[in-house]
This record gives sequence, C-alpha cells and structure tokens, in this order.
Amino acid sequence: MTSLLRYQFINYLRTYKYVPPFSIFILCLVVNYTFVPNPILDSYSFTAIILFLLMGWFTVTLFHAEDEEQKVITTLHAKSRTQYNLGIFIICGLIGFGLSCVSVIYPTLIGAFGEEPRFIHQLLGFLSHFSLAVLAIALSAIFTRELVKNKQNTWWGVLSILLFSIVIATLTEAILQIKGLIWLLPPVRLSLEMMGSEDSIKTIPTIFYWQFAWIFLYSTFVIMLFFLLSNRKRK
Amino acid sequence: MKTIMEIQNVSKQYRGKKILENATFSICANQIIALVGKNGSGKSTLLKIIAELVDADSGSIVKHRQSLKIGYVPEVTPSHILFTPEEYLYHMGSIRGMAKKQLQQKINDLLELFHLEEARNIRIVNFSKGMKQKVMIMQAMLEDTDLLILDEPLSGLDPKAQSDLEETLSILKDKGLSIVLTCHETKLLQHLVDTVLVIQNNKIIQADSFNKNDVPKNKLIFEISSEELLDHLLPILEIQQQSLLNNSCYEVITIIKAEETDRILLELLHKKASIKQLIPINEKEEQFYTHF
Repeated sequence: MTSLLRYQFINYLRTYKYVPPFSIFILCLVVNYTFVPNPILDSYSFTAIILFLLMGWFTVTLFHAEDEEQKVITTLHAKSRTQYNLGIFIICGLIGFGLSCVSVIYPTLIGAFGEEPRFIHQLLGFLSHFSLAVLAIALSAIFTRELVKNKQNTWWGVLSILLFSIVIATLTEAILQIKGLIWLLPPVRLSLEMMGSEDSIKTIPTIFYWQFAWIFLYSTFVIMLFFLLSNRKRK
Repeated sequence: MKTIMEIQNVSKQYRGKKILENATFSICANQIIALVGKNGSGKSTLLKIIAELVDADSGSIVKHRQSLKIGYVPEVTPSHILFTPEEYLYHMGSIRGMAKKQLQQKINDLLELFHLEEARNIRIVNFSKGMKQKVMIMQAMLEDTDLLILDEPLSGLDPKAQSDLEETLSILKDKGLSIVLTCHETKLLQHLVDTVLVIQNNKIIQADSFNKNDVPKNKLIFEISSEELLDHLLPILEIQQQSLLNNSCYEVITIIKAEETDRILLELLHKKASIKQLIPINEKEEQFYTHF
C-alpha cells in the first residue's frame, strides 16, 4: 500500500494539476488575513468553506491524474480496484489534513487575530477545516470518472454538489420543516453553526463533538457508497 | 502441449446486449492465440475477462496453476506517463510487492531484452508509440509472467515498429510465454500465431490451428496445345480446372508449391506451354479474412 501511495502521490505532483487549487488556497489565506485584527472563529469558518470548495478540485484532479489506460494497469498491479481507490482517498485525506493544519497555524503565526487564539479555538478551527475537507472529498469522488463517464459532467457535478451543500446550509430553518431531509443533506451547516459561536467560548459543548462525528460519519457513508458503485461497475 | 488455463462457457452482456456467448477454449503453455473478429465483436471484453479486469456473467476461468501470473497490455497505450522507463517499472513492480533487489535486476534484464537501455532516463511521455508499446509489454512481464494478454499490440504502429514488436513477441514465445492477443495484422497472424479463434455473432465460431509446416503456394494458369502434352504433365501437377479454348488449346489452372515453381515452369516451357499468370497465394489469410 505504501508503494501505491508513493506512486500515486509522485505521479500527481508531476502532473502539476495541484498548482491551481493550491495557489488559490494560498491566495485566499493571505488575502483573508491581510488586515488585522480578525475574529478567530469567523475567519476559520471562511477559510474552511474555501477549503471545502478547493478539496473538490484536488479530489477530481487526483482521481484523474492518470490516463484511463494507465489506471487499468496500476489497478492490475495493485490487484484490486478498491485498493487503488483507497490509495487516492488516503492522499486526498492527507492533503486535506495538511491544508487544515496550515489554515489554523498560519494566522496564529502571523498574529492575524485580535487576541491570542487558545487551544479550544485551534481545535475547533482544525476540526471545522478537516471535517469539511473530508466531506468535500467524499461528495466529489462520486462525480469522478470512476463513476461518471463524461468528464464535463464531473466538473458540473462536483461544483453543483459543493455549492448546493453550502446553499442549503444557509436555509436550515426552511429545511428543518421537512422531516428526515436534514439527515440526507450534506451537513455543512453543522460546521457553520459551530463556527458561528462567540470567540469568548470557554469550553467545547459535547454536542459539538457529536456534530463533528456526524460530518465524518456522513462522509464515510458516501465513501462506502462510492466503493459499492465502483465495484458494481466492474460487473 | 500442457494446458495452463481453460475458458469455459464464458458469457457476458453489457446494458442488455449480448457480447459473448459460451466462449470456450484452452490456453496452452508456449502457445500464441489470436482472437480475430469485427470491431465490437467482444475480443477486448474476452481479454479483460481473462485478465480478471471484468467479471463474466456466467462461465468460468480455470487456472491449472494457482500461481499463474498474467500480464495485460491495454489496446490504447497511455500517452502521459511522466516517469522514465526505469522509474515507471520500479513503481509498478513495487506496487506488485516485488522485492527491491529482484525488481532492479528484472528491470535491467527487460531494458536489455527490449533494447531500451539508452532510453532508460528519458520520460516515457517523449517516446514514440512503438517504444511506449514496448514499455507496456515490459510492465506486463515484471513478475515472470506466464500468460501475456495483448489487446491490438500492433495497432497504430508504423511498419518498422510493427516489425520490431513482432520480433520481440517471437523472442517472448521462445522464452516459453503463452500469449493471447487480438489483432488485424495478417503478417502477425502468419508468422507468429499458433491458433486463431474467430469471434462472430458473439460466439467463437472457429478454432483453427496453424500448421507451421504449411508451405507457400502459387496459382499457375497456362495454355497448352494438346491433350497429349497435358497428360504428360499430370504426374507433376495438381490440376484444378482445365477448359478447351476456341484455338483448340487447353487452359489449365493449377496450384503448385512455391519451391517447385522454377522446375515446373521449365518443364512447361519444354512442352511448349504458354504461361498466362503466376499468382502467390496465402490460404490462411483468405480463410480468416472472409469473416470480416
């Protein structure tokens, strides 16, 4: 598995397909913290949404880094399609993890906030970034060529699902009227709600942990759906 | 020959359309099998099923050895491999789980076998199509492969590259590999292949073994002035057709072995025969290409 991860990562680096989303991420981070002071959780919430959108870009380019024919060959050497896709998910996750860390640490290092962020802020900030990154990876993977044949549909699909997820997060009240629907829709709103807390927050309420857990669980379900559909496609 | 794999009653449908129906044949050690048929006849699907890339709807693939190693080369050569052949083969071998030392030795052997030592540090994306095809075969042979599956290996290659690859396949056969391939190139069929399977209407309708001892023949058409002279030629000629012409001569159509052509022509000239046509024929090609 390590060899597969190394190959997939080096291959991705050599395609240079990471340059546009990575540049946009850095640009957004720098611009967002140009003027000081900034509110802590609000700022984290903004960069988390940016990361959510950009992780869709990273995910698609990672899944499409190889030619279709080379993908068949690599899958054969890896001996399973599941193993191959799992490798890409892990690399996506590592990129999401790294960028989440950068998003939290960078403003702290340059002193971009009005007050020194406490551990509780940084933990909330990290969980908010990383949970949305994982959610974006899961949602975007559904629209990659593994399951969708037309490449144009991939980009429209990813863009639509990510924007849709953000839009419905702002329509919570209306959606809550329809029973059950709230559980089906991507839980971006949970992250936004939590990050809407005051900077003066003293402890993380237990419900917050459950809400983060639900975002990760939701992402896991979507990734499992991906593997189910992908293995069915082989038949 | 020792059977290494049996394909038994393999059927496959795609979106409700039958692609293969009860395909059954065996693959023997050191045998080259060509699957021929029209585009969309199911050749590539059958190869993918053998390579375990696609599941069959019914039927089975029986390996006669548990450790049978299969290498696969797809129809379309990947065009954007951003590694050198050495790096690429190293990554593919590592993913397979091969030990570093053994892998490095194998890579060196393959680069030598395929005459790509000088290109070992050039990125594959800059290679010609023929060189890329060689790298594809090399990746399929990393782990002492027993069965090599090639989907249209000569497709899109120029004559020189085709000839190079044909030579390579010949070397692989000499090394004891079994090869199953799809192709449209008559040249390859003639020189390399032991068995041809024709796929038509989703079924394997013909399994014909090539007789490597088949000798090239010529079709000879000549005129001769009398029946008596013709009778003298009967012992040395296999006459297919004779007809009496208006000038009271006989026109004769006969098939002769290429190697005996000179001797027979001399004999005919001695008998004052008039040679009309001498056409080289290839029965195998005629036989197989009536199916397309």
